[in-house]
Amino acid sequence: MAVNAESVPMRWPAGPLDIARREKEKGFSAETAEVLRRWLDPASLAVVQSTPVNCLVVSWASGLPADAGQQQALKPLIDKGREAGLGFVGLIEGQANRSAAVAAAQSAGLSAVAMEGDAPAGAGIPVIPWNKAAEVRGTASSPVLGISDGLWPGVPSGAPVLGGPTTLPWIDSNVAIVLIARALAPGKGVWIGFDPPQQAKLAAEAYMLAVADPATYGARWVVSLDDPLRADLTARKQPAVDAWKKVTGTLEFFEQHKQARTYQPAGVLAVMSNFAKPDWEAGRDALNSLPRLRQPFRVMARSQAAAASWAGLKAIYYVDREPPNPELRQKLIAFAKGGGILFVPSNWPNPEGAPAPAEPYLLFTVRSLGKGRLAVCKEERPDAYLTVADIQVIMSHRNDILRLYSASSSNGFYQTSAQGGGVIHMLNYSCRPGSDGPLFYVRDQYKSARLVSPELASPAPLKLAAQEEGGAELFLPRLSVYGAIELER
Amino acid sequence: MKQDLTRRQVLAGAGALLARPALSRAATAPTARVTVAKCKTYGPELVPTLGTMFDQLGGLGRLVKGKTVALKVNFIGVRWQRLDGAKMEDTFWSHPRMIGAVVHFLGKAGARRIRVLEGAWSSAEPLPELMLSQNWRPQDILNAAPNVEFENTNYLGTGKKYSRFMVPGGGLIYPGYDLNHSYEDCDVFVSLAKLKEHAAAGFTMSMKNVYGATPITIYGTGAGVDEPSIRPRGSRGLFHSAFRLPSKSAPQQKDMTLPTEPGYRLPRIVAEINAARPVHLAIIEGIHTATGAETNYGGSRPQAAVQPGVLIAGTNSVATDAVGLAVIGYDPMADRGTPPFATADNTLHLAEDLGVGVRDLSRNEIVGTPIKDVVFSYAAVRDKILAAQKKA
Repeated sequence: MAVNAESVPMRWPAGPLDIARREKEKGFSAETAEVLRRWLDPASLAVVQSTPVNCLVVSWASGLPADAGQQQALKPLIDKGREAGLGFVGLIEGQANRSAAVAAAQSAGLSAVAMEGDAPAGAGIPVIPWNKAAEVRGTASSPVLGISDGLWPGVPSGAPVLGGPTTLPWIDSNVAIVLIARALAPGKGVWIGFDPPQQAKLAAEAYMLAVADPATYGARWVVSLDDPLRADLTARKQPAVDAWKKVTGTLEFFEQHKQARTYQPAGVLAVMSNFAKPDWEAGRDALNSLPRLRQPFRVMARSQAAAASWAGLKAIYYVDREPPNPELRQKLIAFAKGGGILFVPSNWPNPEGAPAPAEPYLLFTVRSLGKGRLAVCKEERPDAYLTVADIQVIMSHRNDILRLYSASSSNGFYQTSAQGGGVIHMLNYSCRPGSDGPLFYVRDQYKSARLVSPELASPAPLKLAAQEEGGAELFLPRLSVYGAIELER
Repeated sequence: MKQDLTRRQVLAGAGALLARPALSRAATAPTARVTVAKCKTYGPELVPTLGTMFDQLGGLGRLVKGKTVALKVNFIGVRWQRLDGAKMEDTFWSHPRMIGAVVHFLGKAGARRIRVLEGAWSSAEPLPELMLSQNWRPQDILNAAPNVEFENTNYLGTGKKYSRFMVPGGGLIYPGYDLNHSYEDCDVFVSLAKLKEHAAAGFTMSMKNVYGATPITIYGTGAGVDEPSIRPRGSRGLFHSAFRLPSKSAPQQKDMTLPTEPGYRLPRIVAEINAARPVHLAIIEGIHTATGAETNYGGSRPQAAVQPGVLIAGTNSVATDAVGLAVIGYDPMADRGTPPFATADNTLHLAEDLGVGVRDLSRNEIVGTPIKDVVFSYAAVRDKILAAQKKA
């Protein structure tokens, strides 16, 4: 089966290479080794039978002596899997001889290989770039881009309280890196890899969140199970089977609702950057902070910004210390003169406009520019959270299109469709229902709303409670992990 | 009903006695008039009800005519954390219609300038931004009277320097406090509070509301060490447990061996701030509010949004809060060990000792609706929640 943007991948650790790599790890047990051997058995493919998973990512070459044995050992599994309609992607890592590994993969009938960096010239099979988030670029020919250093989503233990105007806990999410990848490579599928933390026994809800977090933002998690769950699944223990059913149910849910990937993020603020070093962290951290401030946003790759639609934007945060080219600068200044607010770094050359009054504590000096404003950061390397917090203050809540109340461990993500509908995703990073159900305020006018969730047997109609000042509030039931409000005009 | 005291509580109580002013000013504490009224909604009945109450206090004109009035409102806690979906103004925050109505009466009584103040959580955001985040219309408050202004007092704000307020008699924990200039640059100080309990101090009404005047730049978790920070960061946690010092530029704790438990510290800090910056007009709004605590504790405490439908106002914060306590079913004369002071000293008692006011209901003049007609037992609400939780 060919690998494409619609493939649903799962990491399939099995065989001598995985054993060789893992046996150096602390806590590696004979039981784990046995499971890695058993997952070579074609019978183990029953785990993915009748699930949305249709592509297995196997360790193919790492530059270790076990490489050759690995490729040989995988053969029965690959043959049986291909008969069942599964695709296989061989992961090439470390010091492996890439050309040889690619040739072996082609000869073994793999659908594709995945590797960091550039593909070897003349590779006869698709090569999925498998890079760290900071290195993702949209120039590869593959229909799928891989991010190798995703984050296991959730509320990290001992998470610090944000230093801003709220005490919302910090959360780990892949929101920034997924949206950046999608902005840099529009139209391509995005796979994101991260493994479960090994130190804790994970509830099924934690896995559901691992599926839902990237999926909400338009990517697919390369499903990766922890050792105990793989062992228990192999032994067909009922709790493991039940947990896996929840995970695959969540995968299925997102496949059924994949049209949301074609929707556009809604927001009156755009974050514009090359999302590359030396400004990679500033852009990423801004995008990770904005959901915690309940500020919807759009992501705009600088290289595509001049041609992109800026309709509906009230503000643009230009992140990069490298100034824009004259054409883009002209467009940015015209945006501000037309009534928008342009936020720029401290080294913005020859700031346009005239100084305007602003609260002294703010990280920005503000300048009047036509009908709008230019806000120049005072600090060379400002704190990302405080930067976007001040951007939010300068923009004003008057422009809010969405607010999320209660649900302190949750993030919301608002998208609109070309047909005028909307979807508000709600992700609960605590993986357990909060004391108060999430409550959204949405400014746009909709005539109906319903809640869909892998946690609900069927869609539930929601009441749009009209507000005196316009817009409506939507009160959701308490959910453990994920729900989406589908809105119709 | 009295509860058994733990050894720690006994020791803390002994500490309380030790830390009481050597010469109690209770005997000279002023008595006051307090008015109580039923008011079920924020609709048409609100303005006439308030008007009658202010008349019962002798009219606002004698207090505010030609004066600059500082109106401290209450926007406590995380603005996104609504309780059971109820709006912030229907639970923990001052209601915009209540603020607007009070501003209207202050203006009508001839106030020259009305400054609406709050040090909202750890934010330096302009107050209208906090209001907009709750879908309020700040212009309704600005237009309720001439010359209305807002200031967030969590930081230096529009001032050039912080104003120092010393506690008469030297204070219990701190000898004085540095506050935003707005609390000095006023002739009349009004505390507009909500009728609430408090997780650590037992209750929070017009006196505890003044605690929120302390700037986070000096008293916050992220305050500057030597000088106040430029922007506020963090909470006022150091008041709860003394885990750090205020900025060194401000008056420092008198005695570092004092107990560090919140039930000891908070009541004293609230009492002495009220002694240092007295309230001229105390208003407690209990039309819609919340039980169980001052803000949303996310399910860790039994809490509910409730509608007691009552307003209380008086010319002294101790007397007014004493009535407030009686209205929610507690005895203002109670001390540590008796709810709502199960684990805290009674702020009213401490404030009385500092000469701020009198908590004994029989010594103050209470007019309007009799207290017995508006009693709304918060303990009964709590018991009902706990019973339901047990059943579940």
